[in-house]
Amino acid sequence: MTPLLDVRDLVVRYGTRQVVDRVSFTVGAGEAVGLVGPSGCGKSTTALAVLRLLQPAAGTVRFAGVDLTHLPERELRRLRPRFQPVFQDPHGALSPRRRIRDQIAEPLRVHGRWSRADGPARVDELMERVGLSPAHGLRLPHELSGGQCQRVVIARALATRPELLVLDEPTSALDPSLRAEILNLLMDLRASLRVGFLLISHDHAAVRHVSDRVLTMRDGRLIP
Amino acid sequence: MTAVGLLPWLSGRDPALTLLRARSAEQAPTPEALAAIRADLGLDAGPAGLLGGWLAGLLHGDLGVSWVSGTDVSATVVSGLGVSLTLMASALAVALLVGALLAAPALLRGRATGGTPAAVLAAVPEFLLALVLLLTVGVWLGWLPTSGWTGPSHLALPAVALGVPAGALLGRLVADALPVVFEERWVEAWRGAGIGRWRITGAAVRRAMPALAAQFGMVAVGLTGGAVAVETVFAVPGIGRTALGAATSQDLPLLQGCVLALLGLGLLAGASAALVRRRLLGPALREAGLALPAPRPRRIPLAVPVALAVVLAGAVWWGLLRDPYAVDVAARLAGPSRAHPLGADALGRDVLARLGHGAAATVGTAAAVTAAGWLIALVLGFVPGVAAGFSDVANALPPVLTGMLVAAVTGPGSGTAALAVTLVSWPPLAAHAAALVQEIRASRFLSAQRAIGAGPLWVWTRHVLPSVAGPVARHAVLRLPGIALALASLGFLGLGARPPSPEWGLLLDESADYVERAPVPALAPAVALALLAALAVCLSSLGTTRRTGPRSPGSVLASMKVRPRVLPPAPSPVSPSVRCSRSVAPGGRSADRLPRR
Repeated sequence: MTPLLDVRDLVVRYGTRQVVDRVSFTVGAGEAVGLVGPSGCGKSTTALAVLRLLQPAAGTVRFAGVDLTHLPERELRRLRPRFQPVFQDPHGALSPRRRIRDQIAEPLRVHGRWSRADGPARVDELMERVGLSPAHGLRLPHELSGGQCQRVVIARALATRPELLVLDEPTSALDPSLRAEILNLLMDLRASLRVGFLLISHDHAAVRHVSDRVLTMRDGRLIP
Repeated sequence: MTAVGLLPWLSGRDPALTLLRARSAEQAPTPEALAAIRADLGLDAGPAGLLGGWLAGLLHGDLGVSWVSGTDVSATVVSGLGVSLTLMASALAVALLVGALLAAPALLRGRATGGTPAAVLAAVPEFLLALVLLLTVGVWLGWLPTSGWTGPSHLALPAVALGVPAGALLGRLVADALPVVFEERWVEAWRGAGIGRWRITGAAVRRAMPALAAQFGMVAVGLTGGAVAVETVFAVPGIGRTALGAATSQDLPLLQGCVLALLGLGLLAGASAALVRRRLLGPALREAGLALPAPRPRRIPLAVPVALAVVLAGAVWWGLLRDPYAVDVAARLAGPSRAHPLGADALGRDVLARLGHGAAATVGTAAAVTAAGWLIALVLGFVPGVAAGFSDVANALPPVLTGMLVAAVTGPGSGTAALAVTLVSWPPLAAHAAALVQEIRASRFLSAQRAIGAGPLWVWTRHVLPSVAGPVARHAVLRLPGIALALASLGFLGLGARPPSPEWGLLLDESADYVERAPVPALAPAVALALLAALAVCLSSLGTTRRTGPRSPGSVLASMKVRPRVLPPAPSPVSPSVRCSRSVAPGGRSADRLPRR
């Protein structure tokens, strides 16, 4: 059986500096894989390359058997709903001038899956699932706390029912008390939705708590 | 430069016809006579031939021969330039004096005081101040000669009229910049270390200088435009007045020479400002390195602009109910009465009615110019580099100069004035738009959009455009009174609306001749223009105080005359290619910081 995500010999360079050096790993369907390492070791860059928000210099990233690295932009966009990111800075990932509801609904609208009949109900369901009340939906991002914004980002990522979430330091911009809440939310979601995780963090304890398997990176390489 | 060289060809109206009239009024405009004039002027050579001939002449210092008077253009330009440079140098001295007086409180006490009068003074157009000085000091008090250029006493009034607005602007810039500098951390540290007040003040001035040098260059450029108005009012035989005369009589070779000289002066001023900056900063520091933080908003109670707007709107509304063209011969030059609340002009037309209808025309044109500028800014703001490049060109071009060029091509008219002001008013808006686009492109939420699977069209129309269009529109609206003033200046100089249309600048020009017999008709448009200037200032400072949302882009509003410049992003220790790739990195922590203005 092909794994959900299959990364082989991934290489990413910034200019002449090799930031990710022949990294290979897999994430199975519904599996949670943690990627830990000190800051600057290349784990966030790996995440970006997996999401193809960065063009890798070499190697392949196969999602459900399809190589993403050389897929034309148009076909890539069609595939994107199936793997969604959650970034470190929740405020930065949201548009400052649109209401929360509209931002959660945006992936559905982008992919033409929005319908006036059941779209609003779907947004309500997503907000409830991440622990937000419908009243939050009418606010703007700067009226919410960091933890609430991260919940919005997670809800938006889940809107298209993805098979894989790439979580890049989802808790490190938050207060310690909120971290546990978000981690618990992620574990609940994983149990109920059977979505695969690639969880990137420098917090070993948190990653071990959530993940089935933990990979360690240092200086751009995976340590066996 | 090319545009200047091609003026004779660009001119839509047949210059030969104009010249025939100018040289011999009786001669009928037969095709043979026109062809002879064209051949005489070399107009049949085609655009390339004309440009080549003009450029070749320019290299030899030969600017051609005036079409109207037949005299050598180079000689006229040189003598006019001599007069204008004397005037500008004295005006600069006045400006420095006024600026120093206005900046003194900020220097002595480290905080800005009395900024609003200075701001209003800076927004008052030179032609209005020139006219007021001419009437009060020259005519009523009779202290100084009102026109001509024969001795030092003739220099005083024009220099003051030209220098005071420039000085007010200079003083305001310094007074705005210094308090912000004094709040910086190093000042505290220096004070703690026991360093004397005057050394700290000196260091603060030096700290503010590089950012202000560029603005000072703008002030010098503004002098070239102001010179045209001031020289015209005081009948000073300088290059500005010569250029204006050439533009209205379509004497293109003379206009080419004069505009070239004025442009040269403007560019020289800009270049020397850049040089001063470079010397102060040293080659290692880039422009953004010592950019000043935004000045603290000046507190103007909201009631002031509201009151100004209500007074203006009330007068305009009252005037709109009356007929601006009805002639009441018995009331010629009459003072205020029940029938004519603001008196009547030399033809017996009601001044209040003309003021009201003039406002509708001027504000309507200004609104159209603003909307056009906004659209152009939105389109060009998305093309990086273009806006900044055009901004630099437009910064060296006062509206009066473009007004003369456009008038030479199309002939004077309200369309001419609108086109000329549009040409110079969009670049600051485009620079603002470009800065916003740059800021949004660097923001992480755009890569979140890519990850969602949104295509470029979706991102640009749903996210980038809405977040640029709103702030730029607000900026454009705040510039509207300034644009109306520029239109009025052109009207006053005879480059804009034509009689009998009731345009404010034109009203002032028409009634100024009769001011001794009937002061109110001249006073009314002057007061209205001054109120408009004050409104412009209030609005511009409102624009800097209102900020919505925590991530709202920094306001780039400066005063109406100082156009914001786009600074290049702060230098980054990483190579450009790295910066590009990092700017899409959602998780990036340092390298993709937004380049703040």
